[in-house]
Amino acid sequence: MGKKKRGHPDVEELLGRPWCYYCERDFEDLKLLISHQKAKHFKCDRCGKRLNTAGGLSVHMNQVHKENLSSVENALPNRQGLDIEIFGMEGVPEDILQQHNQRIIQNFYTAQAERQAATGNPPRGQPGSQGPAKKLKYETPEELKKRLAEYRTKSATQKAAAASGVALPSAPADGQSPAQGTTPFPPPQPGYPYGAPGAPGAPPYPASGQALPPPGATTAPFPLPARPPSGSAGAPPYFYNGAPPGYPGGAPSTVDDLVASASRQGPSGDDIDQLIRMAEAGIKPGAGSKGEEGAGAGDKKKKGSRMVYADTDVSPEEKMALLPRYRWVEGAAA
Amino acid sequence: MAPATQFEVAQPPNDAISALVFAPGASRRLLVSSWDKNVYLYEVASGAEEAGLVGTFEHRAPVLDVCFGASPDEAFTAGMDHLVKRIDLASGEQTVMSKHAEPVRCVVYSADNSLLISASWDNTLHIHNCTAPSQPPLTIPLPGKPHALAASPTKLVVAMAARLVHIYDLPTLASALSSQTNTPPQPWQQRESSLKFLTRAVACMPNDAGYATSSIEGRVAVEWFEDTPESQARKYAFKCHRQAAPDDEGGGDVVYPVNALAFHPRFGTFASGGGDGTVALWDAEAKRRMRQYQKFPDAVAALAFSADGRYLAVGVCPGFETGMEDYSGEGRTKVFIRELGETEAKGKGAK
Repeated sequence: MGKKKRGHPDVEELLGRPWCYYCERDFEDLKLLISHQKAKHFKCDRCGKRLNTAGGLSVHMNQVHKENLSSVENALPNRQGLDIEIFGMEGVPEDILQQHNQRIIQNFYTAQAERQAATGNPPRGQPGSQGPAKKLKYETPEELKKRLAEYRTKSATQKAAAASGVALPSAPADGQSPAQGTTPFPPPQPGYPYGAPGAPGAPPYPASGQALPPPGATTAPFPLPARPPSGSAGAPPYFYNGAPPGYPGGAPSTVDDLVASASRQGPSGDDIDQLIRMAEAGIKPGAGSKGEEGAGAGDKKKKGSRMVYADTDVSPEEKMALLPRYRWVEGAAA
Repeated sequence: MAPATQFEVAQPPNDAISALVFAPGASRRLLVSSWDKNVYLYEVASGAEEAGLVGTFEHRAPVLDVCFGASPDEAFTAGMDHLVKRIDLASGEQTVMSKHAEPVRCVVYSADNSLLISASWDNTLHIHNCTAPSQPPLTIPLPGKPHALAASPTKLVVAMAARLVHIYDLPTLASALSSQTNTPPQPWQQRESSLKFLTRAVACMPNDAGYATSSIEGRVAVEWFEDTPESQARKYAFKCHRQAAPDDEGGGDVVYPVNALAFHPRFGTFASGGGDGTVALWDAEAKRRMRQYQKFPDAVAALAFSADGRYLAVGVCPGFETGMEDYSGEGRTKVFIRELGETEAKGKGAK
């Protein structure tokens, strides 16, 4: 693992990040998390005083403003309770902690599978994929000829297919290292034998192998927009479909849904949020904390917005005034 | 979000809310005009967290706007039946102030100049002298249909279709009215809205420095009256009242109209209410959002601060959206009143 990290932190790093119990956001370090909690969850509505805990805020509200705090502000719907004392990472219940780690792991592998699919690179630090590439293997002239013939028929069929407009899910055979032959990549091991540190009971990811079809299966059954046949690297056979977990057929990941819906509800956060985001962006753009947006995020930005009311000349009131319910005719109503 | 300081008015209007307004001075009266042809008068109880219905005033047609007059006992309404009416809230007596050729969209009362201004879809403004009610109103032709109207102590901002904005000087209007000239006074300034889409609401700063406009496309602009390059360079606009659409609906943002704007009478901050059912409080000077309140069950149609800035009234009813064949606010129309903390709406000042 002495390699330089290129923007994609590994699982240990992601799992080691402190995160906020109330809103599931993760942070670069504990100090940022605590300042986030003070600003977003433990800030007094009335005077802006920042307390250290929800309990502290409750006492403050009671004593200073004679009011009762009923819920933690800006928290996910099932995390608003005052009964749990949270400070930084302290006090997070064990089951929630495990749930979070699960989510991080799942997001990580989803993102990794996507990156792999997009770049065609084998996963980093996987001996299974790097081992064979390092070994030199010599081919006899017969083998070479055979491979050439294979390549020719293959490219011929590909051309024919491209001409008839059918996308072949096969990967190009040229440009590969000789040792790999016509199989573009070794299939991923079903189920990473990965146990989360600090969460020994966590089942290995992915929870089941279903998400990854066996090598050679086409991507047809997945609701994925078809890649143009001209794409330089065709989708590998085990291309992971981009749907976020919790969508079709996926295991129910309620926390994901919660986070997603919560982020939908609130537009952009306030200044401290912005600051923290910027601090993070410099270090690792587009990974980890944004994992839940994963697949959709890229094309989502490009998509246009939809206006709830889009008539640029006529006001809603004018339209309502024309409805039979509200219309007024001189003389008729008087 | 201390919910104890926000309460719902017990007997809300039966249909969509067009406007709501607090009485001037120390009164805790609140007027709400509705598409159900009534104007509702509420009074916020002192000490208790409730507002009782004091009376309703029936009209012939939906009421599109309402405002208080010189006292908490006087109100003016803008009717779909083309009439501008004065209502004596004590006796319930209604008198017709003037008649437009089309529905009247807005009414605004300027206490400093004792003027009542009404704006109608017949593309005119009527300026009434409230000190001499018998005097016929002055008619000012407009280049487009007015959609929003607001007055500061000396200025009147009229936002019209096609992004037109006219600013009138109220003392000039008052003198034109008293001198009975036949040539209508020209606007003090003519501007184009800084927003690309149909203007939805206008609110003026209580300190007479400028105004804010909002559009159907989730955006708010803040501008200053003073016509110097320095002042004009200060104007800005920002996006708000938007929500990210779920991926299964194609992603992107869902953009809601910003239906209501209201400046705080003391702090120079303002509130915006949108079709997304949220109310946000903004610091106009520091260009910051101060807070955003928890979502209301339906779109926010109207907002008003009380004269002392202690209460914020929020009119909530379903929003009219593109493609709606039918509309009814029945059963879903509500009025919320939020009692603000001492510094809840106070800005931190420009940075």
